[in-house]
Amino acid sequence: MSKSDWNSPEAVRRLAKRHAAEKRFKLVGLGAIVLSLGFLALLLVIMLKNGVAGLDWDFLSGSDSTDATTAGVWGAAKGSLLTMLVTLLLSFPMGVLAAIYLEEFAPKKKWIEWVEVSINNLAAVPSIIFGLLGLAVFINTFQMPRSSPLVGGLTLALMTMPVIVISGRNAIKAVPPSIREAAYGIGASKVQTTFHHVLPLALPGILTGTIIGMARALGETAPLLMIGMRAFVVTPPDSLTAPSSVLPMQIFLWSDEIDKAFVQNTSAAIIVLLVFLLAMNGIAIYLRNKFEVRW
Amino acid sequence: MILTGVLLAVLGLGLVGWFAARGRARLLYTGRGSMHSMPAYHGWHLALWIVVPALVAWLVWQAVMPGLVQGAVFATPAAHGLPTDPFQLGAIVAEAQTIASDPGAVAFNPEAQALVEPFRAAQVKFGLIGAVIVLIVAFAGGAFGFTRIRPNFKARTHVERLVLGVLLAASLLAILTTFGIVASLVFEAGMFFKDVSPIAFLTGTHWSPASTMGDNINNNFGAVPLFWGTIYIGAIIAMVVAIPLGLMSAIYLTQYATRDVRKWVKPLLEILAGIPTVVYGYFAALTVAPLIRDFAASLGMANPSTESALAAGLVMGVMIIPFVSSMADDALAAVPRAMSDGSLALGATRSETIKKVLLPAALPGIVAGVMLAISRAIGETMIVVMAAGAAANLSANPFASMTTVTYQIVQMLTGDQEFNSPKTLSAFALGLVLFIVTLILNIVALRVVKRFREAYE
Amino acid sequence: MTEAKITARNVDVFYGQKKAINDVSIDIDNGIVTAFIGPSGCGKSTFLRTLNRMNDTIAGARVDGQILLDGEDIYASTMDSVALRARVGMVFQKPNPFPKSIYENIAYGPRIHGLASAKSDMDRIVENALTKAGLWEEVKDRLTDAGTALSGGQQQRLCIARAIAVSPEVILMDEPCSALDPIATARIEELIDELKESFAIVIVTHSMQQAARVSQRTAFFHLGSMVEYGETDQIFTNPRETRTKDYITGRYG
Repeated sequence: MSKSDWNSPEAVRRLAKRHAAEKRFKLVGLGAIVLSLGFLALLLVIMLKNGVAGLDWDFLSGSDSTDATTAGVWGAAKGSLLTMLVTLLLSFPMGVLAAIYLEEFAPKKKWIEWVEVSINNLAAVPSIIFGLLGLAVFINTFQMPRSSPLVGGLTLALMTMPVIVISGRNAIKAVPPSIREAAYGIGASKVQTTFHHVLPLALPGILTGTIIGMARALGETAPLLMIGMRAFVVTPPDSLTAPSSVLPMQIFLWSDEIDKAFVQNTSAAIIVLLVFLLAMNGIAIYLRNKFEVRW
Repeated sequence: MILTGVLLAVLGLGLVGWFAARGRARLLYTGRGSMHSMPAYHGWHLALWIVVPALVAWLVWQAVMPGLVQGAVFATPAAHGLPTDPFQLGAIVAEAQTIASDPGAVAFNPEAQALVEPFRAAQVKFGLIGAVIVLIVAFAGGAFGFTRIRPNFKARTHVERLVLGVLLAASLLAILTTFGIVASLVFEAGMFFKDVSPIAFLTGTHWSPASTMGDNINNNFGAVPLFWGTIYIGAIIAMVVAIPLGLMSAIYLTQYATRDVRKWVKPLLEILAGIPTVVYGYFAALTVAPLIRDFAASLGMANPSTESALAAGLVMGVMIIPFVSSMADDALAAVPRAMSDGSLALGATRSETIKKVLLPAALPGIVAGVMLAISRAIGETMIVVMAAGAAANLSANPFASMTTVTYQIVQMLTGDQEFNSPKTLSAFALGLVLFIVTLILNIVALRVVKRFREAYE
Repeated sequence: MTEAKITARNVDVFYGQKKAINDVSIDIDNGIVTAFIGPSGCGKSTFLRTLNRMNDTIAGARVDGQILLDGEDIYASTMDSVALRARVGMVFQKPNPFPKSIYENIAYGPRIHGLASAKSDMDRIVENALTKAGLWEEVKDRLTDAGTALSGGQQQRLCIARAIAVSPEVILMDEPCSALDPIATARIEELIDELKESFAIVIVTHSMQQAARVSQRTAFFHLGSMVEYGETDQIFTNPRETRTKDYITGRYG
C-alpha cells in the first residue's frame, strides 16, 4: 500500500469510521466512571438532605428511644467504640504477630501453606459466616453474654485479622533484604533483627492496613445481627458485657421503623457513621503518603 | 474488682522483676564475653516467668469463679424457695448479679434483692481467694526465674523461643478460625439434616420453614428458591451492573485518563467500596426500590411490590463496581506494555488494541476478578435484608420480591426462638452451602490469578 | 533516487522537561538498510520511535522539528497516526506476538485496516507475509498454534511477518536481535537483507558488527545528538569524528 491508497475515498471513509468508534469507546469509558461517581454523589446528597437537619447535640449525645425526636446516636456509638476496642486489641497484635511469623520465620512446609490458604480465604469469606461462627462458638458453646461488645468484638476480630495479616505481610515483604543482612552482619539474632529493624520499617504499612480493616469492621452489620447485637439501648453500655448496639445496627433498626420521623434519624446516623469512616480512611491515606518509603 | 487489682499487681511485679533481674545480671558482668545474654534479656526472662504463669492462673480463676460464687449463693438460706424453672431462675440470678456489681441499679424482683447480699459476700470471698492464688503463682514463678540468673544462662535464647512460640500461636489462629467455621457449620447443619433430608433441602422448591408441623417437614425446606434468588440477585443482576461499569472504568483509568485524573478518580471510586452495606441497603429501600416499583407500575404491572430483586441487585452491583474495577485494573496492568505497543505499531487504534489484544490477554485475570466479585455479592447480607424481601419466589421477573440465602439466615436467627428447632438450624445448613460455594469461587479465582501473573513474569 | 523516503529536520524530543533528542536531521532512503548505533541511552531508540509516532503513546513526550514521509509532514494535524503506523511498521526489541494463533497474529493488521475482503484474500496475505519472513515452511502446518509457542527467533520472524502483512513502506526495527541467540540472529540478518528490496529499513542496534553486516548507511548517536551519518563502510573504516572513532574502536560504549 502506498500513500495514494490511504487517500482513496474508501480508505478515508474507513479511517473516519474507526476514529468514530474510538471516540465512542472512550466516551463509554468516561460514562462508566461518571455514572459510578454520580451514584455515589446521589447517595451522599440524599443522606445529607434527609439527615443534616437531625444532627444536633441532643441527637449526638442521646440514646435510642421509641420517640424519634428524642432518639440519639451516642448509645450505639459507645457500643461501637467498645466493640472496636475489643476488635483492635485482639486482631492487631494477633495479626501483626502472625504476619511476622509467616513472612520471617515460617518454614517452607506443607502446613504453612494451609495457614496461608486459610488466611487468604478467610479474607474473602462472607461476613455473615463469621456471625454464624460467633453464635455457635462464643454464645452457644462458651455461654458468653449475648448482644455484648465483648462477643461482637471477638467476632469482628476474627474477621479483621486476615486483613491485617495480609497487609502486614505485604508491608514486611517490602522491607528490603539488605536491612536484614546489615543487622545479621553485626551479630543480631533473627528475633532482634525482626523486632528492632524490620518491624519499625513495616509499621506504617501495617497501620494503614489495620485502619482499613477496622473501618470495614466498624461498618459491619450482618455478623452482629447473628449474635443479637440489636439491643434497644436506652442508656449507653458501660461495660464490655452489657447489652448494646452499634452504629450500623442502629441505622438498620431505625430504617425498619414505620414512623416516618425516623427517616431523619437514620440518615443522620448514616452521616455520623460515614464521617467516622471517612476520617479513618483519611488517616490511612495520610499515613501511607507520609511514611511510604520507596526502596 | 479485686481480680482487676490483682492483674495490675502482677504486671507491677513483672516490672519490678524486670529491673531486679537486670540489676542482678549487671552485677554478674565481669567483662567482655563473661555472659551469654545482655542484662535486659535476663530482665525479660524473669518478668515473663512472673507474668505468664500468674496470667494463666488468673484466667483459669476467672473462668471457674462464677460457678463457685453461684454454688455458694445457692447454699445460703436466702436461696431457698427459688423457682426451679431454669429460665426464671436465670433471670433472677442475672438481676441479682447486676445489682451486686452496680450499686446504682434497683431491684425489679424481690427474690433477686434477697440474693444480692449473698452474692456480694461470695464475690468478695472468692475474689480474695483468687487474688491470693494468683499472687502465689506469680511469686513462685519469679523465685524460680530469679535462681536461673547466671552468667552462662542463655536468657536471650529462652526469651526468643517463647517469642517464636507466641508468633506461631498467632498464625495458627487463622487455621483455628477456619476450623471453627467448618466445625460449627458442619455440626449444626448435621443436626438439621437429621430432621430434613439433604436431598430434599438441596432440590426442593418449596420453602416455608414457619410451618414445620407434621410429617412432611421435608417439603418445607426446599432451598432451591433461595439459591435461585441469590444467584439472580448476586450473580446476574448485580453483575450486569458491575461488570460493564467496573470494567469500562478500569479501562478508562488505565488506558485513557491522565495521571492527574487517575490520582483523583481512583480514591473516589474506592469510597464507593468503603460505604457500609447497611447504608447501601437503606439507600436501596428508601430511594431505589420505590423508583423501581413506580417504574414497574408504569409498565402496567398490577400491584408491584416495594421489595424487588432488581432494587437489591442494582444497588449491590454499584457496591461491587470498585471491586471489579480494581481487579480489572490489576489484570490490565499485568499485560506487558510490549503487547499494546505491538498492536499500536501496526496502526490499530487504542480501542481496537484494547478490545482485540489487551482484553483477551487480561481475560484470565478479569474472569478471576469477576468470580471474586460474585463470591462477595452472594455473601452480601444487608442489602438483600433491607431491599429484596422475604418471599421465596422461583421467578425470573426482576420486579418480583425475592429472597436469598443470606436473608433467610438472618430471618431464622433473629428474634428469640429455641435453638434446636429445624427452623433455626436450617440457617446453619444454608450457611454451610454459602461457605462451600464462596470457598470454591475464592480458591479457583486465587489460583487463576496466580497462574495469570506467572504467565507474564 | 530523487527524493529521500524519510526526511527529518532539526528534530528535538522532550520527555516532560528532559530533552532526549537534540537537533537531529537525517535523510533515509528507499531500498537500503539504515542502522542507528550508539551507546545505550544515546537516544537512538527514542529517535526511531518518532518516525512512526510511537512516542505519542508515552505521556509527556513532545516532538519539535519536522519529519517528512514522502514529503508529507507526519506530525501535521492532517496526518492520521493510525494510517501512518500502517505505512511505517515496527519490530520491537523483545518478540511480542499477541496471545493468539499464528494465523491470527498475521491477520490482525490486515483485518483492522480492512485489507482483505474475503477469507481467501486473507489466506493469501498471511501466506505471503510468512513466506517473505521466511517462516512459511516452518509453520504452514500449524497456523492455529499459539504464536507464543514458537521459539524466540521464530517469534521475532512472526513479528516481522506481522509488520509486513499490512504492506508498509518503511520497517523500523528496534534492536530486533538483542533477545536472540547467534543462530536466530543470523537468520534475521539474512531476512533483513532480503527485505530491503521491498521496504526501506531502519534498524537500531547495539552491536557494531551487526550494523556493519546488514546496513548500507550508518548513523552514530551520542548523548541525544547524531554525531555522524554516512556510508557504513566509511563510518567503520574512516570515521570523520573522533567520538565516532573512539566508539568504533571500543574506547567507550
